Amino acid sequence: MILEGIQAVLQPMTILLIAIGTAVGIIFGSIPGLTATMAIVMFLPVTYSMAASQGISMLVALYIGGISGGLISAILLNIPGTPSSVATCFDGKPMADKGQAGKALGTGVVFSFFGTLIGIAILVVLTPVLCDFALKFQAYEYCALAIFSLSMVIALTGHDMPKGLISAVIGALLATVGLAPIDSKPRFTFGMFQLNNGFALLVLLIGLFAISEVMKYAEDVRKEIKYTVNEDAKIKGAGFSLKEGIAQIPNGIVSALIGVAIGILPGIGGGVSCMISYTVSKNTSKHPELYGTGIMDGVVASEAANNGTIGGAMIPLLALGIPGDAVTAMLLGGLQVHNVAPGPLIYVKNGAVVYAIFCAMVVSAIFMMIFMLLGMRAFVSVLKVPKNYLLPVVIVLCGIGAIGNANMVFDTYCMVAFGLMSYLLIKSKVPTVPMILGFILGPTFEENLRRVSQLASSDKFFNHPIFMVLIAATVLVVIFSVRSNIREAKKAELAAEDAEKSV
Amino acid sequence: MKKHSNYRVDIIPGIVIALFAVAYLALVPGIQSFTGMGSTPLTNHFVPYLWGGALLVLGLYVAVRGFRKRAAFIKAGEKIEKFDLKAAVNEKLEVIASFVALTIYVALMNVVGFVPMTIIYLVAQILILTPKHDWKKTYVPALIVAVVCSVLFYYIFRYHLNVLLPQGILSAFGF
Repeated sequence: MILEGIQAVLQPMTILLIAIGTAVGIIFGSIPGLTATMAIVMFLPVTYSMAASQGISMLVALYIGGISGGLISAILLNIPGTPSSVATCFDGKPMADKGQAGKALGTGVVFSFFGTLIGIAILVVLTPVLCDFALKFQAYEYCALAIFSLSMVIALTGHDMPKGLISAVIGALLATVGLAPIDSKPRFTFGMFQLNNGFALLVLLIGLFAISEVMKYAEDVRKEIKYTVNEDAKIKGAGFSLKEGIAQIPNGIVSALIGVAIGILPGIGGGVSCMISYTVSKNTSKHPELYGTGIMDGVVASEAANNGTIGGAMIPLLALGIPGDAVTAMLLGGLQVHNVAPGPLIYVKNGAVVYAIFCAMVVSAIFMMIFMLLGMRAFVSVLKVPKNYLLPVVIVLCGIGAIGNANMVFDTYCMVAFGLMSYLLIKSKVPTVPMILGFILGPTFEENLRRVSQLASSDKFFNHPIFMVLIAATVLVVIFSVRSNIREAKKAELAAEDAEKSV
Repeated sequence: MKKHSNYRVDIIPGIVIALFAVAYLALVPGIQSFTGMGSTPLTNHFVPYLWGGALLVLGLYVAVRGFRKRAAFIKAGEKIEKFDLKAAVNEKLEVIASFVALTIYVALMNVVGFVPMTIIYLVAQILILTPKHDWKKTYVPALIVAVVCSVLFYYIFRYHLNVLLPQGILSAFGF
């Protein structure tokens, strides 16, 4: 199976697709407002007729390229190309201002590669272990796992917990449309056969993340925001000396491990991991006062972490079918399109595809480093592509993706409706990422809760230690998250009051 | 009083979400449930009631929070500005136009066909996303992009990638 997977990726056509995917991903990652999620949406319809290993390899390459490309605009424009590169701006831009743009870019690229490799290594080791462990899961455990994952929503909703929960509940509620689990009776279909299978995950994701992005751009048309691109983007070698690189390895390892750990947690993506690893790196450094003034350490911490998150987020996706963030939710949609069912049996049913994914990730990471070190100038010039032409074309491709999902134009109506809903929710300060978790975990929760209700008379819950551990973990997560949410909200209120007094 | 000035993003969404939850809950009793052999003690009504109830509570909580913020705002002597619909529409004109263009695009795609509707949509959307003073120099490039993209996408996806894009009026010409 391992050889079969590697063989599938090392075909010239697949390598070409990975190269294209990586390059397009870097372009999408580097342009602020375009994300890895949009790149995957755009290319999904292209992969429909490909073999599973080919199509998924291309999507994975888009993911790696998309996350890595964010550092270009973070360093040269001081605007993160993706949320994963927010912390790269802190030291990347000051380095560029000091005339060290090449060094900052080189550092970011090399440690993105480093972080990706660490993430992949942990992914390869942990996924089969988690799959073996999850094989013991029955209705009780799956029900508790869904509750635990949903409880993580509270942790990721920032200081406005009720709005985060609203988003998750709307997601779960949308998932009740279609045939009910277990008894297959139609619910909320209003007699439309197109709704019998419920809303497609892909269509929801397109509406949430692609349409709303175009609308956000439309809001700023009259503002005519002009970016100043730092053109000094030539990288000599890796951009830094061997000695400097070796000195950064411990920082890179710790940051990548933080990235992997955060990636594993459902719902928390690279945006959080880069911030946390930057803070950890700063707090454990011998020279914390230099952070933010333009030093390599800050760029290493951010980039190793956000790329480490890629491997981490793939672990629950492959082993449990639970995505770590929006991009992996999109990959879940991609896997479903190619009839690959993520979960504990993935190695049994689609082992070759899993190994193909691992291999594709390594090949894509190599391409990413080569492309970015050798072709940085080309990617910088892409930053100037007018978005008023690019975004409408992206929307058309999204529409094709929605139609191709089940060859139904009806899905494009849903896409527009979800886009409108997403825009209104964003304007109401309701986060949209928890909605994906609610949408994916809602049916798992319902199906297993109803099975548990059937089993409860003969099989008591105290016979299921994993269930009890997960419920205990849920209680702890909820208590700590609620406490930290309340503390954060109070802090924000005090800060607002202080700001008011000073005015 | 800045911390209370954003009461509108709580009141309106809170009320809308609560109303949506009420409508959703009202539909639940109409769901047919299975009561034969092998049925589960929790029927297919339970989880919709759970989510609908949770959404109603959360919506009401957010709305009440908004009203409390508004009351605190007034108490502090701040003036409540009247909501100016005309100004709001004018401010979001491009967004509204984009949604209208997108809705017309998908609504007519099946009847008119992918290629003609995509050409019209792309030209309209590119113009919407371009500042008005640049429209004159945008017409031709927008039309070229629209024609090339729509024909190319139709050809690639319909004939090589097996995505059944609607033919519409093109079917009369044998495409």
